[in-house]
Amino acid sequence: MTNTDTTSTPITQRVIAVLWPSFLTAGVATILFFTAFDPQIILAVSGYSEISRLGGYTIGFFLFWMLTSSSCALTCYFQRPCLDPSAVASPRE
Amino acid sequence: MQPHTTPHDEAGSFYAKHKKVYPREVHGIFATFRTLGVLILLGSYYFVPWLSWEGHQAVLFDLPARKFYIFGLIFWPQDFFYLAALLIIAAFALFFFTALAGRLWCGYACPQTVWTEAFLWIERKVEGDRNKQIKLDNAPLSRVKFSRKFLKHFLWISFSLWTGFTFVGFFTPILDLAKEIYTLNLGSWETFWVLFYGFATYGNAGWMREQVCIYMCPYARFQSAMFDKDTLVISYDKTRGDPRGSRKKSADPRAMALGDCVDCTLCVQVCPTGIDIRDGLQYQCIGCAACIDVCNEVMAKMDYPRSLIKYTTQHAIDGFQTNLLRPRVIIYAILLTIISGSLIYSISTRLPLKLDILRDRNTLYRVTPEGKIENSYTLKMINMDKIPHHYTLSVAGVTGINIIMRSTDILINAGDSLVLPVQLAVDPANLPGLSQKISFTLTATDNPKLSLTQTGAFVGPRTH
Repeated sequence: MTNTDTTSTPITQRVIAVLWPSFLTAGVATILFFTAFDPQIILAVSGYSEISRLGGYTIGFFLFWMLTSSSCALTCYFQRPCLDPSAVASPRE
Repeated sequence: MQPHTTPHDEAGSFYAKHKKVYPREVHGIFATFRTLGVLILLGSYYFVPWLSWEGHQAVLFDLPARKFYIFGLIFWPQDFFYLAALLIIAAFALFFFTALAGRLWCGYACPQTVWTEAFLWIERKVEGDRNKQIKLDNAPLSRVKFSRKFLKHFLWISFSLWTGFTFVGFFTPILDLAKEIYTLNLGSWETFWVLFYGFATYGNAGWMREQVCIYMCPYARFQSAMFDKDTLVISYDKTRGDPRGSRKKSADPRAMALGDCVDCTLCVQVCPTGIDIRDGLQYQCIGCAACIDVCNEVMAKMDYPRSLIKYTTQHAIDGFQTNLLRPRVIIYAILLTIISGSLIYSISTRLPLKLDILRDRNTLYRVTPEGKIENSYTLKMINMDKIPHHYTLSVAGVTGINIIMRSTDILINAGDSLVLPVQLAVDPANLPGLSQKISFTLTATDNPKLSLTQTGAFVGPRTH
């Protein structure tokens, strides 16, 4: 592949670009979500009543982080240029 | 301000071939301000959770109980509005101070700066100043090097764990937490967060340091949008300093065709982000003013005037008057005053009582055997006061309306909530339309001022 912006970006920077913004937004999402909904009630309804509220917050935060980081990772992935069909065809020539 | 970047310095250098920055210790007026900031901010961070107020922890964001205590005030999830207002105030304050004085936040108050400063202090105590640190890092592994490094990391990790413990202490009562740790009974979630926050502190302040500012901080990226030509920035006076060159103190720089900069590179050595301020304004500059302090020291030694590197504005550099009161500064200030003013007003006149009215959604209305029209409601009440109260409920809006409930006396303990089913019955002759606006009023029997009115709807049959 050619030396484009994304490929020349160091791997650490890409990892941080995925993990860090998603961490921030997951934090905000956790605050907003759990202000509106009590984790204990959600847990009780879904049959996990043995998990404490703090556990609920923690699980919620990491679920949010997983979600936001996957979308960050997808964005990062889609930033790579698409393979040009002619470039794919060229080796046969 | 346009971020100063060159094509090659942006991507590769800091991650792939990152060079460790060894900031040299600096003394001076701005260093004193920063130390003061560190002491006040970290001091209050570690101290505040141990304060108590009227029998509870003074500042406690009690997540398990879903209540926030801030000294005499108790906030509930229903008070989310205040948190939102507080965040808006914080954002506008950041805009305001950035427009006025540049990266004041970064240089003196940001947790990243403050904790890094504390970690640097530990590092200096163990490994010595900059030159000794570089020497130690370049030396082969020896018993001395190992013990120094071990001690440094041991202190860093202990400090980080204490930081993590304090962090969790803001969310669960810190005394209970301390007891649980002492008896080795700490809950798994609490243990996790102590370690998580501790690890983040150790990583960010011990290892990542300036890279957090350069690569991870969103503010560092967008702050240039808040800058204008009248914003305070740290700048090297090129016309006075260049051409640079070393010289004896007795030498006449003019005769040697030199500027005032003696090219001692101390400004580069003290920089926590490892830049050369003499290259002009750079986005990596966090505005800590360490270079100002150290350069002033050198200028004093050379008997040259101070302020070769100084806080200034682009307009001043270009020879214009600096304009303090610009439209954006005034707008930020007005917005800041209005929002903070209304928040303070709203909190100080806050009624420690909540009332929510839910109409029964399943049936619109019911006709009783006596021929009256009946509606059902669920009332949710919270007593946010610090003492229990008896309340009475009254309804207005329709003549001859009757309240049917278990007991007319409603008792709610301090900080408790109550869900109360209530029926209202009305003679159909008194119902003018399909839906009638009614109001519920909840009043404390011991304090008539503690009274709250909420409106709802009463639904009846079509009258024609």
